[in-house]
Amino acid sequence: MSNLAQNVAKLARIDLPDDKAEAVQEDLEKVLKYVQQLEALELPEDIEPFFGAIESVNAIRTDEAQPSYPREEILSNAPDSDGQFYKVPSVFEQS
Amino acid sequence: MQIEQLSAAELVKRIGTGELTAAQCTDHFLGKIRDKNDDNGAFLAQCDEQAADAAKQIDASIAAGKSPGPLAGLPVAVKDGICTAGITTTAGSKMLSEFVPPYDATIVSRLKDAGAIVIGKTNMDEFAMGSSNENSAFHPAKNPWNHDHVPGGSSGGSATAVAAAMAPVAIGSDTGGSIRQPASFCGITGLKPTYGRVSRYGLIAFASSLDQIGPMTRSAEDCALVMQTLAGHDKNDSTSAPVDVADYMAALEKPLSGLKVGICKQHFEEGLGEEVRASVNDAIDVLKTLGASTVEIELPYTQYGIAAYYVIAPCEASSNLSRFDGVRYTNRAAAENLEEMYSKTRAEFFGEEVKKRIMLGTHALSSGYYDAYYLKASKVRRMIKNDYDKAFESVDLILGPTVPTTAFKFNQHAADPLAMYLADIYTVAANLSGVPAISIPCGFDSAGLPVGLQLQARRFDEATLLQAAHQYQTQTDWHQRSPQS
Repeated sequence: MSNLAQNVAKLARIDLPDDKAEAVQEDLEKVLKYVQQLEALELPEDIEPFFGAIESVNAIRTDEAQPSYPREEILSNAPDSDGQFYKVPSVFEQS
Repeated sequence: MQIEQLSAAELVKRIGTGELTAAQCTDHFLGKIRDKNDDNGAFLAQCDEQAADAAKQIDASIAAGKSPGPLAGLPVAVKDGICTAGITTTAGSKMLSEFVPPYDATIVSRLKDAGAIVIGKTNMDEFAMGSSNENSAFHPAKNPWNHDHVPGGSSGGSATAVAAAMAPVAIGSDTGGSIRQPASFCGITGLKPTYGRVSRYGLIAFASSLDQIGPMTRSAEDCALVMQTLAGHDKNDSTSAPVDVADYMAALEKPLSGLKVGICKQHFEEGLGEEVRASVNDAIDVLKTLGASTVEIELPYTQYGIAAYYVIAPCEASSNLSRFDGVRYTNRAAAENLEEMYSKTRAEFFGEEVKKRIMLGTHALSSGYYDAYYLKASKVRRMIKNDYDKAFESVDLILGPTVPTTAFKFNQHAADPLAMYLADIYTVAANLSGVPAISIPCGFDSAGLPVGLQLQARRFDEATLLQAAHQYQTQTDWHQRSPQS
């Protein structure tokens, strides 16, 4: 698990400078060590996982068109936009 | 009697009869926030203009003889993780420091439709991750009983606001204990409803299979009053349940004779503070004199609750918080390309605890680890739910301490985060299994800090929780005590 923190930070898209990686790693390992008590726990073989606190069927509503929120209001929270779309740095590098 | 000493029910009554105007009442509490907030940090935002406008409208409609609504003129403080249209909503995070939601959460619309007035947004641990308010990206709220101690978390600002009489009522959210634990630490009443009882539309999600919104008040009666407005199905939240809402106010007055209360021995084992134990035992005696009987029960798998929670909640958080990537929500770090924009933005604007939980969840869900972590934790969750189902075959309520201790000091758990996680040891199981639970004040320790009593009930049986809590409060005055600050 030596590079755990750096690998996971990369997957989670969180920049983790090298000088901080060790402390983060220690922190993560403390919690992982605690939750690993579950691994050793023996459960009845046929036990089904419980993923949600109510086991409902799909909640399906009628498909009716409704007005959405105004584009202007939604984009007003964006760090950068052209008034129509969100703007982001280049996705592909120019060759 | 001072306005802030009146119950929510009494405030609504006086405003309805014209004895007090909504404007006077709102002004009074806004003044309290202005006076106290520099000292206790309960609020992140105060809504002077919006609140004054809303109060004017309520007063006008009462003067015109119109029906003013069941909460007409009642000032309410709302946790800052709940969206309020036109009012900055940060979830206690730098990531959302400038975020202004375009819409109200369903519970905010319901409160406004009932005549309540939003007076401010309360402080919280960032994205509701924490048990002390120390993870607020702005400043921590402080416990009104002693400012050296934490108010609890994550709804610590809401608890502080009610305990310090800056608002008669506050709204919190509870993913593993975030309403009940601060209610316990601050000596107020806090209800986590059944999963599905209250809409989460507009709640900034932490762990979607666990999050619930609920009221935080001084008394069970006020809690019932507010819960009547909050509860009910919402077509905008597919997890909200189409189950009829009981008449909570009517349930309060029913006597407790015949009520069976389960005492879980796991809640009284090692780790429970002696002064907390003594107060909880006294509370059991009070309920017995009211006609309840006790039954010893077992919830053997709840001892794995914290471990299961610290797999499930971070997994869900890692997914829910992926939306904060610098594209849509206000803050973005400077970067050369898209990938760098994501990772620099998330590194710069998320706090350390939030990053840690996202990484834990990412790890647990990453290829090769799913079975060992998320699947296993979800199976343990089933065992915990089965424990509850079995217990509720023979009892109506489960009683125990809300938290093993009273409020701890700031920085007390800085070196050992796991010790802080254990503050939720008695509360997480209600979230994992989906049952409703309430914390009410049941005493004080020798340092003068409040002790909380937790009651848990069958799914959708908030009425019995509120009934027992109210009946207990007719015999005790812990809920009427106020801190000096």
